[in-house]
Amino acid sequence: MTYINKITLFFFLLLGFQLSAKDYIATEFGVKNDGITLNSCSIQKAIDFIHEHGGGRLVFESGNYVTGSIYLKSNVTLQLDYGATILGSTNPFDYVKDKKIGWMSMIFAVNQENIGITGKGIINGRGFITANNMVNYIHRGVYADPLKYDRPNETNRPQNIYFRECTNIKITDITLKDPASWNQTYDQCKNLYVDHITVDSKSYWNNDGIDVVDCDGVVIKNSYFDAADDVLCFKSHSAQHICQNVVVDNCVGRSSANGLKFGTVSRGGFKNFKVTNLTIFDTFRSAITFAAVDGGEIENIVIDGVRSINTGNVIYLRIGDRWSNGKKPYMKNISISNVYAEVPLGKPDVGYNFEGPIEDLPRNISPASIVGLLENKIQNVTLKNIQIVYPGNGNPMYAKRGLTPEELDGIPEMRDAYPEFSQFKELPAWGFYVRHAEGITFENVTFTALKKDYRPSVVLDDVKNATFSGLQVNEPESKGKQQVFPYKSSNLIIK
Amino acid sequence: MKKLLLKTFLLLLLSQIHLLAKDYNASLFGIKSDGVTLNTPSIQKAIDFISEKGGGKLKFYVGRYLTGTVQLKSNVIIELNEGAVLVGTTSIYDYSGVNGTKALLIAEGQKNIGVLGKGVIEGQGPAVLEQIEKQIQKGYLKETILQASPALIAMNNCTGINMEGFNLQNACGNFISFSACKQVSIKGLSIRKPAVKEAKGFIFAQIVGLNMENIFVETAEPEIQSDGMSKNITLVNCKNASGKNLMMKN
Repeated sequence: MTYINKITLFFFLLLGFQLSAKDYIATEFGVKNDGITLNSCSIQKAIDFIHEHGGGRLVFESGNYVTGSIYLKSNVTLQLDYGATILGSTNPFDYVKDKKIGWMSMIFAVNQENIGITGKGIINGRGFITANNMVNYIHRGVYADPLKYDRPNETNRPQNIYFRECTNIKITDITLKDPASWNQTYDQCKNLYVDHITVDSKSYWNNDGIDVVDCDGVVIKNSYFDAADDVLCFKSHSAQHICQNVVVDNCVGRSSANGLKFGTVSRGGFKNFKVTNLTIFDTFRSAITFAAVDGGEIENIVIDGVRSINTGNVIYLRIGDRWSNGKKPYMKNISISNVYAEVPLGKPDVGYNFEGPIEDLPRNISPASIVGLLENKIQNVTLKNIQIVYPGNGNPMYAKRGLTPEELDGIPEMRDAYPEFSQFKELPAWGFYVRHAEGITFENVTFTALKKDYRPSVVLDDVKNATFSGLQVNEPESKGKQQVFPYKSSNLIIK
Repeated sequence: MKKLLLKTFLLLLLSQIHLLAKDYNASLFGIKSDGVTLNTPSIQKAIDFISEKGGGKLKFYVGRYLTGTVQLKSNVIIELNEGAVLVGTTSIYDYSGVNGTKALLIAEGQKNIGVLGKGVIEGQGPAVLEQIEKQIQKGYLKETILQASPALIAMNNCTGINMEGFNLQNACGNFISFSACKQVSIKGLSIRKPAVKEAKGFIFAQIVGLNMENIFVETAEPEIQSDGMSKNITLVNCKNASGKNLMMKN
């Protein structure tokens, strides 16, 4: 190609880009910003028009726009200006349950490319009202749902965003509020870029922060999440797909479930993640939960820089066997470094809407845990520069799990249980519990108990090749206490 | 004995009919009478639900029920009681059509359907027309005004249509358009205030079995436009605004 040709091509590309970046004002299509008019059809018309005319941005200027389900199409970006709010209709019948996806959503996209939602505006699902309206319809017999736990099934409540099999997605600057179900799901998508978004999502049960399912190529950064359910939730619904090549940087999250979570549905797996500078606070369950309980493969995960403040648990890595269907799960090559964490004695998410469910106790404060299965050990986990401050105060009169073989072997395997750090009830350590694992490295790790605990800080059960260097344990009134207790373990090195 | 059997049979039949013709209030489906809430999906849900349950009446009482296009389904009757107004939205992209005709109330290939009662179907024609003209001007709408203007009722290939007693006003396009339908009964309708000069009261094409009684139509002449391909037509006391009896070519 000659130089001139190259320039011409460049010009055409630029021209094409300009064409595709044309702006269309939503109200020009008869879309009303009065906060009353249901605009689904007019917004859809606008999206279709822009899609058919080379693409561009559909601009929502300041105002309140009510809508039910709409489908975003290729080369169309919804631009929500500062002061613009997309309000979800509170009538469940205004939403489509997409046949392919099987869920309800406000903004759908299926098999589209180069799409986005941008700008400093707000998407407010008003999900509390919508979900309760749905409950009423179900009671009246107008909509069929078993009302398990006295709530409509997750798939019968609209999410704010559900994109499936889309490529090149940009979600920037927006605020996502109060869906009736999960908040935003990206399922089998390629190249998802999320930057500077705010999620305020605790209006109904299962309000996740962001769900990334079987996606390839994901960046999530500079974002803030406050969610009733899991915050940064990576899932693998399909055994034929893998959630992979993901970067998460500089995110802050609050949850009545988990902070960073792999699973619970974990059929294909999770590979090549780099998560940096993550802050999790006031969170009911774990700051980090990786679950391979449905046959999934988890490997090459780097977590660097975590602050976990007032969070019920710090790290929970778990292989189980729930819906594996003969597929062999594994978890290996996990590196977690530069973590500072404080675990409280009380309930961390008290006072937030849709607080996490209080379990049937007793148990004393649970340790961080790595728990594999006898035949599927968790492999090569490195924990480096970790400081965890626990309340201690474990009282054997309240709940006791001692160190005798009977007591340690008595901890149930719970192969097919839902994975939560608290599932085993009382565990025999206050700092870290490892079972069925190989190649565990603790480097420069400090566990602090603020009060004396009846348990040692670390228990290893069926662990091969564990190395501790620079382990420091601070516990009042515990001079001379054996703080690392190995059981059925081999090749333990403490430097 | 025979009489008794016959009676029992009749009673059974009656109870069956009663079962089929269950009544449903609009509010059961969250349909709002405030004139502001766009009820399209709720009304559609109601119609689908009633049709799936074997049929019945969807009853609207006093109030303004804003909606876009809804599709009637087999064995569903819409009852507009006195003071109930089914109001067509001014958002033109909320309308869809049947057999090339957009309308507020449409039906395609359905049986035993109808609209009854002393209520109103209000098209908001002038406001809808204004929107259509604007969208065409801006280039977003590629249809002609005629193509884009919604009728109030359009049905194609339906059997057993019953329209009785209600008032239709301010249609943007034509008022009622039926094609390839059988056993059509239209009684006691009042049709007034067309938004477009050329709009017609009725458009009929290939109807088999049409019975019209006590109709008042205030539109351009001919108030009934027919393709001349219809059969078995009876018109009794159907008048236009100047009191002239309406005619229809067979």
